[in-house]
Amino acid sequence: MARDNIFVGLEIGTSKICAVVAEARSDGTLKVVGVGSVPARGVRKGEIVDFETAKRCVHDAIVDAEEKSDVEISEVYLGITGSHIRSFNNRGVVVLEEGREEIDEQDLDDVRTNAREVSLPMEDCILHTIIQHYYVDGQDGVLNPVGLLGKKLEADFHIVYGIRTRIQNAIRCVKELELEPADVIINSLATAQAVLEKNQKQLGAIVIDIGGGTTDFVVYVDGAVKQSGVLSIGGDHITNDISIGLKIPSARAEKLKVDEGNVTLGTAFPGETILLKDETGFAGREIEREPLNQIIHERLREALEIVKRQIEADQNLHYVGAGVFITGGCSQIRGLEHLASDIFGMPVTMAHALPMAGVTSAFENPQFSTALGLVKYAHLVQIDRPASGGLIRNAFQKIKGIFRN
Amino acid sequence: MVQLNRQYDRANNSGEPIHVKVVGVGGAGSNILDRVMLDGIEAAELVAINTDVQSLTASVAAHKVQLGRNLTRGLGSGGDPELGYAAAEEATDDIRSVLQGGTVVFLCAGLGGGTGSGAGPLVAQVAKEENALVLAFAAVPFSFEGRRRCAQAEESLTRLRAVCDAVVCFENDRMAEITLPRMGIHEAFAAADLTVSQSIRSVAALLQRPGLLHIGFDDVCAVLRNGDARALFGYGEADGENRAHDALAKALKSPLMNRGALLENAFHAIVHICGGPNITLGEVQIIMEELNRHINDQTQLFMGIGIETRMGNRLSVSVLSSLGNGLGKPIAQFRQRAVYPVEPLPQPNVKPEPWKPAAVSELPPKAAAQEQAGAIGYAPERGEEELMLSSTQSETHKPAQTRPPAKLDAKSQTGSAKKVEAKQEILQFEPVSRGRFEKSEPTIIDGQDLDIPTFLRKNVRIR
Ligand SMILES: Nc1nc2c(ncn2[C@@H]2O[C@H](COP(=O)(O)OP(=O)(O)OP(=O)(O)O)[C@@H](O)[C@H]2O)c(=O)[nH]1
Ligand SMILES: Nc1ncnc2c1ncn2[C@@H]1O[C@H](COP(=O)(O)OP(=O)(O)OP(=O)(O)O)[C@@H](O)[C@H]1O
Ligand SMILES: [Mg+2]
Ligand SMILES: [Mg+2]
Repeated sequence: MARDNIFVGLEIGTSKICAVVAEARSDGTLKVVGVGSVPARGVRKGEIVDFETAKRCVHDAIVDAEEKSDVEISEVYLGITGSHIRSFNNRGVVVLEEGREEIDEQDLDDVRTNAREVSLPMEDCILHTIIQHYYVDGQDGVLNPVGLLGKKLEADFHIVYGIRTRIQNAIRCVKELELEPADVIINSLATAQAVLEKNQKQLGAIVIDIGGGTTDFVVYVDGAVKQSGVLSIGGDHITNDISIGLKIPSARAEKLKVDEGNVTLGTAFPGETILLKDETGFAGREIEREPLNQIIHERLREALEIVKRQIEADQNLHYVGAGVFITGGCSQIRGLEHLASDIFGMPVTMAHALPMAGVTSAFENPQFSTALGLVKYAHLVQIDRPASGGLIRNAFQKIKGIFRN
Repeated sequence: MVQLNRQYDRANNSGEPIHVKVVGVGGAGSNILDRVMLDGIEAAELVAINTDVQSLTASVAAHKVQLGRNLTRGLGSGGDPELGYAAAEEATDDIRSVLQGGTVVFLCAGLGGGTGSGAGPLVAQVAKEENALVLAFAAVPFSFEGRRRCAQAEESLTRLRAVCDAVVCFENDRMAEITLPRMGIHEAFAAADLTVSQSIRSVAALLQRPGLLHIGFDDVCAVLRNGDARALFGYGEADGENRAHDALAKALKSPLMNRGALLENAFHAIVHICGGPNITLGEVQIIMEELNRHINDQTQLFMGIGIETRMGNRLSVSVLSSLGNGLGKPIAQFRQRAVYPVEPLPQPNVKPEPWKPAAVSELPPKAAAQEQAGAIGYAPERGEEELMLSSTQSETHKPAQTRPPAKLDAKSQTGSAKKVEAKQEILQFEPVSRGRFEKSEPTIIDGQDLDIPTFLRKNVRIR
């Protein structure tokens, strides 16, 4: 049964592929009716590197979600990430023609179009043009300028773009499975919808999703998206570092990271060890705790410091009042909260998606924040513009645009 | 003179698949094995063989054989090849069972100590008895390790040559040439491991991968089977417009190549070109023509081309050859280094008696070994690599290309030529693998390759 009030969010993650099925209820809330998730293969750093393999996994995740929710999935809101994704802020301006004084819907479209008129490299295409603030005749604090009297409408936008062919890979993967991509949304934006309350966006907040292959972040200032970014560093790097540093195979390094890892230095007794069993029959190997933690510490400190530096460079750090919200699989590493608040010098929350009705186990797991955020985003967009159908058209245009030439 | 090799039509035959085993003997062998594993090798079984249980336990190999359970009791052989040999003899059955079923055995070891030098030839012999093609990749000691180790290495080399189908000898001195002045002993060894690992991987790829042109066992042996050969090996990888030229230039710059100058003295050379489906005949031509300037008229050139989708827009060139006789013995040619920044390796207790080559007569004569090699028939299965060639959809998911960093400012335009250089440095000399990140675009931020472990880049001493 495909229904209008059903939203499906799909994250093709580096370590797992996850589809969340949610239902919009008449009281305006969302209910999670099923979550399908399978380990990902053929995905590195948030992007598909082995098309057929990844496609098979996406298929399996969709089937899993269909079984769990008893919904036949035909359309998905697709999360996108990758190091090719870039963003900047730009202002659009529209001057009303002589004789007209009231700002209308068309002006909103025009000011957006104006802001998008930047010369991007040929290979790129725009993913989002997110409104930050409107100004009417230089006055800010305007929430909705339609119907206001004025001569000049200006608006600031956060514009996100990426390399067309690399975005196409994920879309094509979905399409080849006979699924319609309803919209493509960058992961960080989606995740923020799942993790942040409205007032936290207003106070200013940083959301960091540390996954298996990428670290996606977004900065909200004054209720608007001020900055977003993707770092292709994730849990895979930690695992790889451990594997090299301790000379153990990756599978063991991964297990060691999850079971024993801790970013806090000096918590192990001197010489404290972990016994690693050797399946080949040799005496088990002792792994020292402190070096393990040190390897993890170095990697995560570095990743967080890079994020901080980028936020500082755009001079947004001082406008963040609600603090840092870290989610994604790697947020579960012990001690990360302390390390992060040490680095950012502000309160840090280890976050998972805010509770919704339905499958509760889903939002307790920070690995599902992005997929849950995707359905929240879809829902919010629908609420924002119920009747016009404008956004649906926009989404359609956007996907067509991605496949242009 | 360019000669397309005759293996070409054989690639179409169907036959038994080849089973590759990479066997590391002794401490150095085990380290090289780890390197091979970290860099990634397709469809090969890794086997670590050692007297030293600590080193065995630390090894990432899937199969492990302990030598000298009774004789050395888990400790190393203390630099005594005789003891190494005896320890191996005691474990002959274990060695045999782990080698069974291998069509090609790559044996790697550092010669000069006890286990690699002593047990290595015996392992090779067992592999031959199991009807494998045996290629040995041996690292010979740094000159600063002292005369005794060098003599032991030479002795062991002689024994290896008597059994193996081919022995490729790597001089630690030369492999580490570029790293030596500024790095410590671990980096020097790591650089050496990397070179040996790259050449093992290239030869394995040559033998295993179905490509446009295929190089066979006998070609590889013809090139490597040379008297007391020293390996010439170069590997380079590049992308961008000039990738063919750039990749070859890098390969020739490799420390074992002497900028291609040494190639002139080689009788045979193998060139393996590997790239994504978009590799062109023009590029192959460029590489072969440029290479022709570095060889003499008599040199036989064997070329193989592999198509691998994971290469994306990158193209790699491996050149493998060996110096024939007439250039003197490799081990006698160590160059003296005036200063060395770290303490030399501890010298083993020098025993008055040199290692008696007692076992030499048991080894099968070389001629027999060669016959066996020639008799092995094989033809690898056609893989999807070849199919990809004609398919157009591969365009869509080709792996990421590098693109200028952040923002659209002027900085991002700073020449792509430079980038190529930087990448090469990392590829050749950093003791680090791309491992899981192999197929993906490197994470470069502020000029640093963040795929390399942070603790290594920041030089944090762990433990
Ligand atoms: N390329 C490389 N060479 C090494 C390494 N470690 C040692 N060597 C070289 O290999 C030679 C043999 O050393 P090992 O492999 O440690 O010795 P072994 O074969 O285990 O023998 P014993 O320890 O004496 O039982 C040394 O003389 C060095 O020249 C390494 O990590 N890489
Ligand atoms: N309890 C845990 N402790 C530490 N790390 C964990 C834990 N659980 C999962 N991880 C790590 O989290 C990562 C996966 O996180 P997540 O599912 O958010 O990533 P993803 O969405 O698949 O990848 P990406 O978004 O980067 O493409 C893996 O590297 C995994 O090792
Ligand atoms: Mg994720
Ligand atoms: Mg040893």
